[in-house]
Amino acid sequence: MESLAHIAFGVYTALIVGGACIAVLARSLVRSLVGLVATLFGVAGLYLLMAAPFIAFMQILIYVGGVSVLIFFAIMLTHAAPTGDESKSRPVRKRLNAIFAMTVPAVVLAIQIIVHGPKGFEMPSEVSLPELGAGLLGPYLLAFELISVVLFVAMAGAIMLAWRQWGKR
Amino acid sequence: MSALQLYQLVALFLLCVGLYGFIWRRSLVSMLISLELMLNGAGLSIVAASQHTAANAVLGQLGALLVMGLAAAEATLVLAIVLVVTQRFKTSESISVSELKG
Repeated sequence: MESLAHIAFGVYTALIVGGACIAVLARSLVRSLVGLVATLFGVAGLYLLMAAPFIAFMQILIYVGGVSVLIFFAIMLTHAAPTGDESKSRPVRKRLNAIFAMTVPAVVLAIQIIVHGPKGFEMPSEVSLPELGAGLLGPYLLAFELISVVLFVAMAGAIMLAWRQWGKR
Repeated sequence: MSALQLYQLVALFLLCVGLYGFIWRRSLVSMLISLELMLNGAGLSIVAASQHTAANAVLGQLGALLVMGLAAAEATLVLAIVLVVTQRFKTSESISVSELKG
């Protein structure tokens, strides 16, 4: 990587680290969502850095435009107060469990990546948009169609669940 | 350290922070936020592994796109489930749903 790319990588990584820490540790759910959005932008920047601009665009479109709005609706509809569930104290055992669940994969996988990980190329390979489109309509057509079916079933199931509950009142 | 290893370490960080939040958090919505962090790490790892090695780059990018689609579907379903839980139990804490009847 060039030195400019190093700077860009550092900026995006700082965005990811800060955003993820806010997303996990903030008391207020809305602040936590803002941290998540910052992380999503950082990941989109990393996609740009590894020469995948289409995926970066899709990341912003789907995650920042779609999923985060969905989560915001969930926060609004559950009436989550900033002084509510999250600010109560937790047992010590829960903190120990959480730290244990974080450290074990971190240590094992970090050793694997640093010691045994493949070096890879320094320059990312370039894929043009027509190649991606040909891939979607050629060898990966089944996966493309199946993901649309999965999305349709999820939307229909969500409407069914919410609508039946709403009709009972 | 090579570029691929740096990207994989960032993806690993996202996975670990997501795991920590998933266990540490109480309400269902913030558990969903942690889940999105983990899925982002997975996508980042897939694209980095396909762009910086001799693997098929088209397959890697389309796989990341698939992960994003699955995340969107999962977020929709979780939103509906959280709504149902909130209306039935009057709270969105995960601990209140974990008790059996009887």
